[in-house]
Amino acid sequence: MSAQFRSVWFWFSVLALAILAVFLLYPLLNVLTGSFGGAGGRSGWVILAGDPKYAAAITNTIVLGLAVTLSTTLIGVPLAYFTARFEFPGKGIVAVLPLVTLVIPEVIAAQTWLMMLGNNGFITRWLGARGIDIPSFYGWPGLITVMTFTYYTYIYIGTLAAIRGFDVQLEEAAQSLGTSPSRSRLNVMLPVVLPSVLASALLVFTLVVGNFATATILGSRVPLLSVLTYQAAVAEGGSDPVMQSTLATVSIAMVMIVLFLQRWVVSRGRHEVTQGRGARAQRLRGLAGLATGVLAALLVIVSLLPLGSIVIGAFTVSRGPVMRWGEWTTVHVERLFRIAPDPVLNTLAYSAMATVIGITFSALVSYLIVKKRNVLTPALDYLTALPLALSGTIIGIGLLMSFNTGFLPLTGTASIIVLAYIVRRLPFGIRNASSTLYNIPNSIEEASISLGVPPVATFFKVVLPLMVPAIAAAAVLTWTTTVAELSASIIVYSGGRETMPIQIYKLIDSNLMAQASAYGLVLVAVILIPIIVATRIFKVDLFSSKS
Amino acid sequence: MGIAIEDLAVSYGGTRVIDGLALAIEPGSFFTLLGPSGCGKTTLLRTIAGFVPAERGHLRFGGAEVTHLPPHRRDIGMVFQDYALFPDKTVFENVAYGLRARRHPDAAVKAKVGAALERVGLGHLGARHPAALSGGQRQRVALARALVIQPQVLLMDEPLSNLDAKLRIQVRETIVELQREAKITTVFVTHDREEALAMSDRIGVMNKGRLEQVGSPSQIYREPATGYVADFVGGANLVEVETVTRQAGEIGPIALDGIAITARAPAALTPGRAILVARPEDIIIAEGHAQDALPATVAHRQYLGGKTSYKVTLAGGRVLAVDLQSGAHDRFEPGASVGLVFDPTKTLVLAS
Repeated sequence: MSAQFRSVWFWFSVLALAILAVFLLYPLLNVLTGSFGGAGGRSGWVILAGDPKYAAAITNTIVLGLAVTLSTTLIGVPLAYFTARFEFPGKGIVAVLPLVTLVIPEVIAAQTWLMMLGNNGFITRWLGARGIDIPSFYGWPGLITVMTFTYYTYIYIGTLAAIRGFDVQLEEAAQSLGTSPSRSRLNVMLPVVLPSVLASALLVFTLVVGNFATATILGSRVPLLSVLTYQAAVAEGGSDPVMQSTLATVSIAMVMIVLFLQRWVVSRGRHEVTQGRGARAQRLRGLAGLATGVLAALLVIVSLLPLGSIVIGAFTVSRGPVMRWGEWTTVHVERLFRIAPDPVLNTLAYSAMATVIGITFSALVSYLIVKKRNVLTPALDYLTALPLALSGTIIGIGLLMSFNTGFLPLTGTASIIVLAYIVRRLPFGIRNASSTLYNIPNSIEEASISLGVPPVATFFKVVLPLMVPAIAAAAVLTWTTTVAELSASIIVYSGGRETMPIQIYKLIDSNLMAQASAYGLVLVAVILIPIIVATRIFKVDLFSSKS
Repeated sequence: MGIAIEDLAVSYGGTRVIDGLALAIEPGSFFTLLGPSGCGKTTLLRTIAGFVPAERGHLRFGGAEVTHLPPHRRDIGMVFQDYALFPDKTVFENVAYGLRARRHPDAAVKAKVGAALERVGLGHLGARHPAALSGGQRQRVALARALVIQPQVLLMDEPLSNLDAKLRIQVRETIVELQREAKITTVFVTHDREEALAMSDRIGVMNKGRLEQVGSPSQIYREPATGYVADFVGGANLVEVETVTRQAGEIGPIALDGIAITARAPAALTPGRAILVARPEDIIIAEGHAQDALPATVAHRQYLGGKTSYKVTLAGGRVLAVDLQSGAHDRFEPGASVGLVFDPTKTLVLAS
């Protein structure tokens, strides 16, 4: 009977593993094996080696990944350092930065930068009218600029947490041993903070490799892996299943190699980070303070520019692709609600479902991983982290290949979109829930059981209530990221099931910026309102577990 | 309700930590498992609770087999080292938790919880959350929570070790009082010998998953069965000696550095190597070279107020600890030549 008492969780593990095997592992295997071609024997690897277009795409993707990782690190690390250790005028606005990554969906960031600096952008036109020609924003300049401003907050948040957690007494110890303050900082703080910076840098690299929205909108002249993969998957006049698999495999391999490198670097210098006394922020006075303040403010303003542009764009008169800057109208927003509200409703419905299912599944699986370890839970742990290495495009392709026909035909239904959302968001949901679970001592559950409450009931009566704040935060974060999801859903969606990001993407593709802005405005509202309600009214701490 | 354990085997993470353990605990008694960390005492307690499965053997509560019963059906009360209070529930709801699980009517819950909190001196704090309590108060709530359900068996896993010295003694007294009053069979785990001696009816000293000795506090202290028990329970001096045949209880001479020391053998001995056990407080330091005294040199002295702890070096180079309590106990200077006199009834010789 003792075995039976434990096996309740064992069977839950089996169930979770089966679900992951069907909806994650099976699609991934389909992607990987698809590259070797079907019965026709056409191997994707032969084609890959034969066409210089693909070699160029791989090189471009790596170069872009490295460039953006470098530029975001150069912005994010100093910003984090100054925010953590100094007081300067206007420091308060830097605190809104983490929200920026949430509030501005990638597709909108790319679009609004185009509205500013594209061929028809208002800054381009304004400068053009004064005889200043700026180089085209399409291609490398646009890709690097937009991705830098989209991703530097990841480095900032990761580094900030590490610097805040750094025990300042180590620095004082170094100084007491006779090194100067600045050298002490370099010698002692850098090695401790470096693993966090590396981890964030890796995250940025994988995001750039997997980036679809910015890459496809701005990268028309620069072939990139993610765009070619997407094109192979949904090409007009028949997709190319072999090439889509091959290219997806290449980008998975790329991310895996970087992941391995990062592990290796981190393991070479393993530090046990002791939680100590945090440093008091020093006041920066005079010119240094002013300069820091101005730079930080500038950064935040540039990061938030897309939000301003989307409002302007949504209310600007347009005639086809031509924007009449300075002339205002509400016709785009009205049209959206009167004639084409479907993308809005679809987005709300799919994200709501993905949030409910995803959070429930994440809570259960993290409980198994953290509290009810058995022979299966390490597999659960690895599998749920797997989507981190997979871009949305790859997840979309995997689901499409697996559930188009066969034992579970989902193509054409809403469920495949919801599924794509859930799979993409899974690692974050798990991480969020497990970090709370690690803080709940096992003895609390045992106390409940010893008082006569069976294990499963104990979970609901004792553990779940303690997880509620984390679950609420995870739900808000899942909602905000899934409503903005583009790269997986654009592959699996079918006509009539457009979401807002898909609709925006299509409108940008047709150069209808004003209408795209109108959807963008609604999308931002759909993201912002839950965040405001959660943080202001329910006092949910969205970043407590640093998901 | 008594606890009977027979031929118990338990593995933890693939290694056998308890093998073939047997133990009988009297109904209504306070039994302490004493031992250093890693000796298996907590594992044994958790096996009794049912959180760690028994691989082999039997566990009975009052004659009823519970070996394979899940913990929530064993009718136990458990007190944890880290209190394990439910942080989101009030003190009242914490204590009421087990009663509600047993579907007691609201009025009964209210009365019982009130009485239980009153009994641990926290009647006025029912509305608070655990975070607003001190460590001592939290452990009292945990105690009330475990006792209010009137369990068959009360299990306590180092409940005092997170408290500071003064509180430890207070809560210790509360626990003993409540246990005596409720007459609930109690198993208490600790590594603190003073706690064990002060609270228990009987003590089981554990070492490497085995029970070295089970007995009353004075038996454990006065008549240790092994050198390990003598050392762990009393911090005794252990000296290897040679012995001749001895009857159980026989008092006779033992040679140490060429001097005959009188010692008692609690159990029969065969000729060969044996261990001489002498507690620091059972040795007296005499000035100069008194007759029959063991010559030694004072190496180190620590003045502790009520007593003075000495380290003395014997001629053979062995170092012994000696505690002097009465009179001018701090009058011996380091370097002084002294003689050691052993209390003949308290100095023991054990088989090695």
